[in-house]
Amino acid sequence: MLAILIDGIVQGLQLSLMAVGITLIFGLGGVLNLAHGQFAVIGGIATALLMGEGLHPLLASALGVLGAGALGLAMDRTVLVPAYRYQGEERLLLGLLITLGLSFVVNGFLDVRYPTVALTLPLPTPSFTVGGITIRTASAVVALIALAAFALLFAFLKATLLGKVVRSIMQNEVGAGLCGINPGRIRTLIVTLSAMMAGLAGVVQGLFSSLGTELGNEFTSFALIVAVIGGVRSINGTLVAGVLLGIINAFASYYVGAYLTLLILLVTAAGTILVRPQGLFAFRT
Amino acid sequence: MSANRSISGRSALIAVTLTLALVPLALGGSAHYLRIATLALIFMAYTVAFNIVFGHTRQLFLCLGALAGASAYFSVVLTMKLALSPWLTMPIGIVVAALLGGAISYVSVRRGLGVIFVGIVTLVFSMIFQNLVLGLRDWTNGETGLETKAIAPAVLAGGLPSYYAILAVLAVAFVAYHLLMRSRAGTAFQAIADDELAAELAGIDVTAYKVLAATVGSALLGAIGAIHAYYGGFISPTVYALGSIDIVVLVTLLLGGMRTLIGPVLGGILFTLIDELVRPLGRLNVMVYGVLIVVLVITFRHGVVAMLSKRLKIRLP
Amino acid sequence: MSILLGADAVEVAYADISVVRGVSLEVRAGESVAVIGPNGAGKTTLFKAIAGMLGLRGGSISYGGARIDGRRHYEIVQQGIVYVPAERELFPHMSVLENLELGAYPCYGARAERLKFVLDLFPRLLERRRQLAGTLSGGEQQMLAIGRGLMSRPKVLLLDEPSTGLAPFFVSEIYRQFAQLKREGLTILLAEQQVPHALGFTDRAYVLENGRVRLSGASRELLGNEEIQRTYLGMG
Repeated sequence: MLAILIDGIVQGLQLSLMAVGITLIFGLGGVLNLAHGQFAVIGGIATALLMGEGLHPLLASALGVLGAGALGLAMDRTVLVPAYRYQGEERLLLGLLITLGLSFVVNGFLDVRYPTVALTLPLPTPSFTVGGITIRTASAVVALIALAAFALLFAFLKATLLGKVVRSIMQNEVGAGLCGINPGRIRTLIVTLSAMMAGLAGVVQGLFSSLGTELGNEFTSFALIVAVIGGVRSINGTLVAGVLLGIINAFASYYVGAYLTLLILLVTAAGTILVRPQGLFAFRT
Repeated sequence: MSANRSISGRSALIAVTLTLALVPLALGGSAHYLRIATLALIFMAYTVAFNIVFGHTRQLFLCLGALAGASAYFSVVLTMKLALSPWLTMPIGIVVAALLGGAISYVSVRRGLGVIFVGIVTLVFSMIFQNLVLGLRDWTNGETGLETKAIAPAVLAGGLPSYYAILAVLAVAFVAYHLLMRSRAGTAFQAIADDELAAELAGIDVTAYKVLAATVGSALLGAIGAIHAYYGGFISPTVYALGSIDIVVLVTLLLGGMRTLIGPVLGGILFTLIDELVRPLGRLNVMVYGVLIVVLVITFRHGVVAMLSKRLKIRLP
Repeated sequence: MSILLGADAVEVAYADISVVRGVSLEVRAGESVAVIGPNGAGKTTLFKAIAGMLGLRGGSISYGGARIDGRRHYEIVQQGIVYVPAERELFPHMSVLENLELGAYPCYGARAERLKFVLDLFPRLLERRRQLAGTLSGGEQQMLAIGRGLMSRPKVLLLDEPSTGLAPFFVSEIYRQFAQLKREGLTILLAEQQVPHALGFTDRAYVLENGRVRLSGASRELLGNEEIQRTYLGMG
């Protein structure tokens, strides 16, 4: 039982890591990034390719994540520029369509160019035992990475000036402008950061099992679901929602099987949107 | 400002139907191209449906494939399992799609969901559909799909009769669209698309009209979805996947232009041409679709019909 | 005294409707000037245009001798013109202190000193400094908005209907604070519906109606003007 719970929490942390980028871009940029999963894939594939060239896994991963970030930056400064000219719903719609198109471009390219490249990161010891429970090393590492990433993110948002600026724009873009803050530059920073977090989530997937080019859309879908259930503007919400869904996923898979579990999660997602569109944790950022 | 002549909807309808009817003559008897043209007609009909639901009432239904597929699977499975005639099961499929689409619309409007959330909910619905079909293997044969050649009505078996039968259905869809837009509902749609809040305050029953648009659109999706199933020869989750139907419709509508009668047709023709051009690229065609979407959304947002209207100084319907 | 802020034949439109149709005004350094007029006269639109939040259809706006129309609103803040809108636009999930600190963004290093200044001016904000802005009362939110605006050491403060929705007690209090700021030499441009307060506090005033300037002059004279008294002060 406990093993399932731990498994669920770890999976959930990965989901949260994946989803937090969507929350950041939506809350700050007012854009729903449907290409998000592609950044995860790019991070993972880049890492795999670099490892294939002989680079040490840690270095390759770091570069892979940075690569994902670079592409996020490019996306923000090029194709999203027309979307930023609008506000509110227009921007949302335009951003959604543009990122949808972009996801097809990236997915199509990767599918044709690197159809067989996959990232796997084997660890020296497959598992270890603590207090009578056997834990997969991969799970522990993933949990540590995800928790560290979130801790850094929260520290950044709460304690640094830039972080406060980010929160201020998310809470009131007009108000931020009145304080002399240029939202455009901060947006670029956040989009880049989000892409890197997605890239990290992709690399982490390589620790769990393996990551291939076809997983892009699946990642986007799951990230979307977690972000929406948690409250698409709330970072706390995304973290909690991810872990919750990870736990539900782990237990449901064990008892009723993978197929039914997915259905349950999807119906939960749809239900949450319909019953409480602002998400479970709409209150705080 | 120069006076804008306008072409009436009825004239356009007749002109377009006649033109499409003459297309087979230009294909030189090639069965291959006839099939492409027939499929183009099917996708034009899908686009008309999306035009009604999204173009006119801003309901971002990213579940076109799912609605069409729901109808298709209901019809095919019922025909196979209960040995009923497809002519009986197709209407059932249509009703299923219409009810589903109408329900999604109703709940979304009542909960006050914005465009994006409707998009997300329908996206999730698409995923639910895909998973249901994959999982209920005993009924649907999962990923492998079902062959429909044996049970298809003769008129949908292929060749010229199928082309004209489907053209007839498309024409009926046009007529329905035309009548709908000229009725009081059409004016309501316009008001809702312009400013929903203002429309509500002006006394328009926004809920009723949005649900109407969604139901009519979904019914059309169901009809074409079922026809697609029998003409295509087989059904599978992939046939009705987001990447197979929704994306094509999106590009077609962006190409042709929203909220017009002939937009889906011009868009469909353009898309088919582009698709053929891109065929040698193999699987890279997905990339082309993506680039098209991005470029269209950024630069060419109003579509070919709007551009032609401006150039020719004629209001095209 | 030189003209610090000037608007010349400014025209602003909202969705093809002209809201401000050729307004000219000037504010000298250290002056406080009121813009009064009924709802819909174009006061807020004019202020938003000066603040760089709306574009001009015609005319120009100059500050310190140079044209500023066309600049982005955050650049204008950095130049020293701060706009405090009627809607306040606070950060609801951040504390009073955090809101104020962000107001000092253009001169963040000097925020400690400015913070002391603002909290001295508004003791109520000092009391509630850890409270979340969204939970403050209307009057306190207004004070916070003004305080936040002051944090960046502005040269010109644009106050849009600061007394809206405030109990009379709060209105008197913030006008006391305005008087203090005036004494310190801050240039203030004030849009108000509360005409007696506005005219009592400022040096000069413009009366805006239907997007145009109907009257202008020394505030004291306008107070005595019969038409003003009839239309805005409900007398006679």
